[in-house]
Amino acid sequence: MEKTTDTIYGSHIERMEEIVKEMEKRIMDLREKILSEQGMDPIEHYLARIKSDDSMREKCRRNGLPETEESALQEIKDAIGIRIVCDFLDDVYTIRDYLAQMPDYTLIQEKDYIRNAKPNGYRSYHMILRSLDGYHIEVQLRTISMDTWASLEHHIRYKKNLPCDAELIFKELKRCADELASTDVSMQAIKNLITEN
Amino acid sequence: MKILLAEDTRDLNRAVTALLDHEGYEVDSAFDGEEAMDYILKSDYDGVVLDIMMPKKDGLEVLTEMRSRHILTPVMLLTAKTEIDDRVAGLDAGADDYLPKPFAMKELLARIRSMTRRSKEYGASELTFEDITLNPKDFVLSARNTVILTAKEYELMDVLLANKDTELSTEYLLSHIWRNEENAHADTVWLYITYLKGKLKSVGSKVGITGAKGESFRLSI
Repeated sequence: MEKTTDTIYGSHIERMEEIVKEMEKRIMDLREKILSEQGMDPIEHYLARIKSDDSMREKCRRNGLPETEESALQEIKDAIGIRIVCDFLDDVYTIRDYLAQMPDYTLIQEKDYIRNAKPNGYRSYHMILRSLDGYHIEVQLRTISMDTWASLEHHIRYKKNLPCDAELIFKELKRCADELASTDVSMQAIKNLITEN
Repeated sequence: MKILLAEDTRDLNRAVTALLDHEGYEVDSAFDGEEAMDYILKSDYDGVVLDIMMPKKDGLEVLTEMRSRHILTPVMLLTAKTEIDDRVAGLDAGADDYLPKPFAMKELLARIRSMTRRSKEYGASELTFEDITLNPKDFVLSARNTVILTAKEYELMDVLLANKDTELSTEYLLSHIWRNEENAHADTVWLYITYLKGKLKSVGSKVGITGAKGESFRLSI
């Protein structure tokens, strides 16, 4: 069993773990606040992880980078990853706004794959944040239906032998993505309607 | 463009087949009603020309069977000049047109053009407005992204697109899309308008829908 300081992250691991805890606390506080104000919890589930030593080293090699702290923490920006899965579409954007205005983090990149879905149907909101002391967090925000879709797509993509025509499967997955996206919008419209009155 | 011709008079059948072929149609020829029905069940035609007086099954029987099987291919009946009752029966059974014999080939061709055009042009076709496209085959609404609409959303979007220059009132939409269903009212229309507004936004379109609850609606940018 290697000591934590033996990982590619070296002595940074402690601060990284602190960041994970800190983010979790912030998200839970935000959740409480929205729940007490609007009577509905905006988050279905929250996950945070530090990329394992093995995966990070593998990613360095895949990207032709030396296996150093610099590569793991500066060149590659998902050493710390959080995923926030929301019940409704608008919640995704509410949480996006909250994360973007945190004074001790700078938003260095964001991609709205919800309004600009990937050709295969993938939808999520991606952000990369940098703390004042230089650590990066990759954030993925999505609704439950986008999360379900992504997990099936991920499972299929890495499956070795598909029992039937792969093209058909990917076409059907795309169709499901477009139906789910449509339903997300309808659910939001119904929610807005009942909360207005 | 594929046409089925069912006519038991061999010379006439051959002449019409040759003419249609010459005009660029793909033609199948049947010489009695049963053969015609076999062709219809095997193939997809853009138009069917049926003689009424045919052995085994007459033209009206073939037509009735087609419609009962929900085969909506346009049908033109060839009738003898005096058979007014047959023409009435034919039209009532779901024929789109009839042509009394003897006929001029020129008129036959014009009527076939008219009949096949009707089903193509006035049927559901892809509609566009600014950056959006609505596909009638799979109910996909697309701009930068795509979403799939439900049946009612599709109908509403289709009507809004077909009338992009006109304000459509809530009453008009209730009668045309909800066919004045008992449980449908202004709130129903408004909810579906809201769905479509959200879906236009989610496909990244610049098109929106103007109009307030209970009032008139129109696509706009």
